[in-house]
Amino acid sequence: MSKNQENLSDWVDQFTAELYSWTFHKVSNAELAADLVQDTFLAAVEKLDSFKGDSSPKTWLFSILNHKIIDHYRKKVNQPVNLKNDSFSNFFDTGGDWQENRKPNHWDEADEKQLIDDDEFQQVLEKCMEALPEKWSACVKLKYLTEKNGDDICQELDITPSNFWQIVHRAKLQLRDCIEKNWYNI
Amino acid sequence: MKQKIMHFLFLSCLKATELIEKKFHFKLSFTEKIQLELHKMMCDACKTYEKQSGIIEEGIKGNHHLHHSKAVDSEQLKKQIQAKLQEAHK
Repeated sequence: MSKNQENLSDWVDQFTAELYSWTFHKVSNAELAADLVQDTFLAAVEKLDSFKGDSSPKTWLFSILNHKIIDHYRKKVNQPVNLKNDSFSNFFDTGGDWQENRKPNHWDEADEKQLIDDDEFQQVLEKCMEALPEKWSACVKLKYLTEKNGDDICQELDITPSNFWQIVHRAKLQLRDCIEKNWYNI
Repeated sequence: MKQKIMHFLFLSCLKATELIEKKFHFKLSFTEKIQLELHKMMCDACKTYEKQSGIIEEGIKGNHHLHHSKAVDSEQLKKQIQAKLQEAHK
């Protein structure tokens, strides 16, 4: 075993848990997260010679991992979605005004910060995310994967900016509506 | 007719909510900014939408503390990966 290979074995011990919990947060699926972490180390073996130690091993591994996660989402985003042409018409009339029964109601947000930290609210949000078409939730989640701005995300996903925010727009309308119904029971 | 003129000047709610979403990640043009501000001055529903959309953004960002209980055994994962790496070297 070369010195580098020994290092890699140490890194598995040191960083697996951290890489895994990051991935799990991003993909919300235990099996998939484990696979992505494993793929990361297998890719690292291949690239070991090119690792010059300019960055810390941890940073290096995370950058490989993030590419893997983005790849995973890119595949999802590129899957065609059965986009019902009328998905906006659930919310707006033909003139583009809110449908009376879909207008946002006021939420009783005494304290926004409190709301975001509320476990039950997070569970409702989670459930509503899961109810979205995969392509939409992939776009929404991907925004928080890296601290990239919109243009960079579009480049990664190979979609146009207007395509991107239109997907997010549809996703958000659904999400907001779903949360209002399930959390506030309005 | 009145609606058409209004939408030309101040946007429809459909367009306004689109710009609200766009604004989270892209810069709006000067005209878009003015149009959106004017629209929100007159439209309580879209003002409410913007606020709630912001809350949802924050919520998605903070949506991680739920998962800790569902984590796999990382010791087992380590062993599995070590074994795979061994194989890769052969």
